[in-house]
Amino acid sequence: MEIDIKRLAKLGKLSIPEDKIEEFRKKMEDIIQMVENLPDLDTEGSLVDPENTMELRKDEVQPSSPRDEMLKNAPYTAAGCILIPKVVD
Amino acid sequence: MDKLYSLTATQMKDLLDKKEVTSVEITKSVIDRIEKTDKDIQAYITYNFEQALEQAKAADEKRAKGEAVADLAGIPVAVKDNMCTKDLRTTAGSKMLGNFVPPYNATVVEKLLADGAVIIGKTTMDEFAMGSSGENSAFQVARNPWDTSRVPGGSSSGSAATVAASQVPLALGSDTGGSIRQPASLCGIVGMKPTYGAVSRYGLIAYGSSLDQIGPMARTVDDTAMLFKAICGRDKMDATSKDYTYTPYGAGVKGMKLGLPKEYFGEGISAEVKEKIYAAVEVLKAQGAEIVEVSLPSTDYALSAYYIIACAEASSNLGRYDGVKYGYTGSKRGSLEEMYLSSRSEGFGEEVQRRILLGAYVLSSGFYDAYYKKAKMLQKAIRKEFEDALKQCDAIITPLSPTTAFRIGEKSDDPVAMWAGDICTVTLNIAGLPGINVPCGFDSNNMPIGFQVLGPKFSETTLLTIAKCYENTVGGFAVKEF
Repeated sequence: MEIDIKRLAKLGKLSIPEDKIEEFRKKMEDIIQMVENLPDLDTEGSLVDPENTMELRKDEVQPSSPRDEMLKNAPYTAAGCILIPKVVD
Repeated sequence: MDKLYSLTATQMKDLLDKKEVTSVEITKSVIDRIEKTDKDIQAYITYNFEQALEQAKAADEKRAKGEAVADLAGIPVAVKDNMCTKDLRTTAGSKMLGNFVPPYNATVVEKLLADGAVIIGKTTMDEFAMGSSGENSAFQVARNPWDTSRVPGGSSSGSAATVAASQVPLALGSDTGGSIRQPASLCGIVGMKPTYGAVSRYGLIAYGSSLDQIGPMARTVDDTAMLFKAICGRDKMDATSKDYTYTPYGAGVKGMKLGLPKEYFGEGISAEVKEKIYAAVEVLKAQGAEIVEVSLPSTDYALSAYYIIACAEASSNLGRYDGVKYGYTGSKRGSLEEMYLSSRSEGFGEEVQRRILLGAYVLSSGFYDAYYKKAKMLQKAIRKEFEDALKQCDAIITPLSPTTAFRIGEKSDDPVAMWAGDICTVTLNIAGLPGINVPCGFDSNNMPIGFQVLGPKFSETTLLTIAKCYENTVGGFAVKEF
């Protein structure tokens, strides 16, 4: 099987250098071969685990984290906002 | 008193309660020990010594005033570096979070602090908990104290190594496919992966959210139970967490039925490992346990199902690292797309990128039904098999790792060989069940071997009872003089 590393990288928002693509492909093919040995199973029915119901908390208003603190980890900020490259011209 | 660092948490608690030592004395001894030995073990990415001494002082003051204190008050604990600690760098072993200083604490960390525990530092781990050897850390490779040329296992590598090297009595690890139990086994300590939902995951940096679980690591069963008791229970910040009160474990295994699944004793498991595990089973038998054979026929497929589900969830969970809000931002910022690509490609290591690619593959159109959906169906089947098997017995005993600790670099270039080592541990995560590593001897290279005890959901008390019975019968677990 041929794995299209470039397509997968695009899906995963990764850029794999040209000289690494072959190595990634080789290892990915080994991995796919390993995970491919799944038995034929009835794939009808729900994928949800009925025993693992989630218990939601009440939707109550409570103080959120202060903006300054939340922005401390952002790589680029100005005037209390996060800076990113220009999106529209 | 010298060598305070080498005491178990239970011994520390007794001395603290009797006012024979202070937490500051214990903490200083632990810091001194880490400073002397950590260049060889490399168990920590970030030390928290200054804060730790403050926490120790606060615990001492509480005790001195005669206030009621929790078991962990004044006792040093190491925390895996994927659990958020407010104002203390939390990297998840990745360059992506190399400068990340969380603005909040994980619930488990809140619980430790509320109990007055002393947080000594953040331990070395495989990047984003993806690995079984510790070699995928972006910072350093933790060493196995029994032989520093060998891996400590992973991904909770530093947590296992620091406890095994008697730098600290207790550590928290996280386990998505074996990441508490396998390093515990390779380092000869106790490590328990609790039932999914027994411990809050709030503030745990996500890898595979439906599989991840935080748990305790220690050199004795008593210490393991002490740490587990402190962290378990419902948390409104984690919708998958459950109400759970820990009940102390019982006296022995008399009358218990223990299952041995033949699928776990096949060709892939080394002869030395099998021999020690059968010997451990004999020990439990002599204590009054009845041994029954059980069958878990889908075991062969578990590894595939695990890697499909875990990587699918990882590729989605790791989508949040975009170089915008926190974490590493890439060197190229010409356009938004370029910034995303350079942030992620420069910030993530190779194994993480590989798992993102696999996740993208199994979720992509045309492949979803063949891989992801099938894996989820297999998960249902595996869960059912465990349910049926556990109707015939109280708990199941298996090997934990097919081999003992290997040398650093030995498998690092072969992901398939590395992944295959997780065969005995991933099944529990898939089924959401609890499991514990119990040390049971050494191989011919004097490297530790461990067996796994697993049971139904929320059967931690039973698992600890069996582990404790074994520990008592063999006269305790060996501790590495280091």
